[in-house]
Amino acid sequence: MNETQTDNPKILLVEDEENLARGLEYNLSEEGYKVSLAKDGREAIKLFDENEFDLIVLDIMLPYFNGFEIAKHIRNKHPQMPILMLTARTQIEDKVKGLEIGADDYLTKPFHLKELLLRIKGMLKRKHWYQKVVIENPIYKFGNNEINFENLKCNNGKKEFQLTSYEAMIIKYLIENKDKVVTRKELLENVWNMNPEVETRTVDNFIVRLRKYFEDDPSNPKFIVSVRSAGYIFQS
Amino acid sequence: MIRRRHSFAYNLIIFVLAQLVWLAVLLLWIYWYVKNNIIFEQVGENISPQIVYDTPSVFPFVGGIVLLVGLSFSLVLIFRHLNIQMKLTALYDNFIANVTHELKSPLSSIQLYLETLNSRDVPEEKRKEFYGVMMRDAERLKNLINSILEIAVMDKKKFNKELEVYKVDETIKKIVLESAEQFQLNENIIKFSGDAGCDVLLDRNSIKTVFDNLVDNSIKYSVLPLEIEIKFRCNSKKAEIEFSDNGIGIPHEEIKKIFQKFHRIYDKDIPNVKGTGLGLYVVKEIIKNHKGKIFAFSEGKGKGSRFKIELPIYIEKKKFLKGNKKGFKNE
Repeated sequence: MNETQTDNPKILLVEDEENLARGLEYNLSEEGYKVSLAKDGREAIKLFDENEFDLIVLDIMLPYFNGFEIAKHIRNKHPQMPILMLTARTQIEDKVKGLEIGADDYLTKPFHLKELLLRIKGMLKRKHWYQKVVIENPIYKFGNNEINFENLKCNNGKKEFQLTSYEAMIIKYLIENKDKVVTRKELLENVWNMNPEVETRTVDNFIVRLRKYFEDDPSNPKFIVSVRSAGYIFQS
Repeated sequence: MIRRRHSFAYNLIIFVLAQLVWLAVLLLWIYWYVKNNIIFEQVGENISPQIVYDTPSVFPFVGGIVLLVGLSFSLVLIFRHLNIQMKLTALYDNFIANVTHELKSPLSSIQLYLETLNSRDVPEEKRKEFYGVMMRDAERLKNLINSILEIAVMDKKKFNKELEVYKVDETIKKIVLESAEQFQLNENIIKFSGDAGCDVLLDRNSIKTVFDNLVDNSIKYSVLPLEIEIKFRCNSKKAEIEFSDNGIGIPHEEIKKIFQKFHRIYDKDIPNVKGTGLGLYVVKEIIKNHKGKIFAFSEGKGKGSRFKIELPIYIEKKKFLKGNKKGFKNE
């Protein structure tokens, strides 16, 4: 995950608070990103449909369509598009809802400029890494499972389903490091770009979800195995 | 929203069931009483027809029914009260969420610009622009905090403002233009007509809040290029100020509710979803405290809104009679 990202990534910034939007636009442009600004949900969807972007910074409370609706629209069209939700709402339900719909990260207002820029950088880096490894090997099979890392469609032998971009990145990371122990810290740092001391539970929750998808008996996993007080290991 | 609806339905079902239980008890009771009475009469006649059968006292029976009806009635009252409380709590929760949002937005903006200025080499011109933005955001925060504090005072029914005498048209015109400047509106957007050279007693700061809120609403609830029209008129008793815009208007069923505390109109077509639900409540209370009245009109959705404010005219004689020491202020 150390490859440099492509020049001038394009960011769609969806924020209806004009002052905040302008300040963000200035800072992102200064960082070398190409920024398109949408002031409401309609504009955001229009811009997204008509242009190519590398990342979306998305507010939740917006006119016409809220951030959740926009995230859904984006996910349907582009399952891997990194979405960073930016919002004044701090309720845990909002965070859960955002992440369930498929936001990759979540920052609450007021936020620190440095943290925002770091997260955006991390998300773009991960996207680049992911795209690179996917081009090399888009379809991966293990047991009865088949994952298409391009469109994130999966088949576990019983049904077809869709992974979120984070789920895909975690399983991809585990597969890349097959038969090696991957620590929670490593996952948090490389997939989430988060401070590992804060939220190791996040990793466990995602692992539980992945096991439900891919294991015949999630309580007795064969592929994604826990290594006591170390982390996880992928075996097939 | 969903949770609220669910708990309302839940309460309603429990309430209806409780009422049905009471009714069933009552019917059983009547049935039991009538049946026993008939048997008692028959048995009594068979055993000893000579005994003059005295009808048992109906007092406990009627009394019981009255008590039951009373109980049932009080249950209805408690149920109604509970529902009102629940609605208020829901509105209040909503209000807290909205206020949090309204407080955090300008704060985030100020923090962002400060951090930008601190960490980047910002050109002088941009620097000035950023200071301007921060000052406007600080002003926004101040206004919001003031209106929340004002609500607290209003709720205690205290109004200890600095009332002074002003000429209606001149003063209101100045106040509205100040609001326009604050919201960065072009002066041409606002048209004034009519004249009202009569005097009224005003607390200038409160009246400024009134027009700030009205202008803010017009900006928020408009899709077309904004036009605001203000008409003045005086008659022998009152001064009339009519404030109208070309915004999206107010749906008929909402007109009565818009002045209620925390009430907000939710509509997919309304382009701006921000607000606390306090604006028009504050407006109404301020006007009320000036012994005036405010009415809202709208031809319906998409046809603009019109607010008519009536303020009692101040006659100098009164000042003299009441020994009011407040001075005459002419702007």
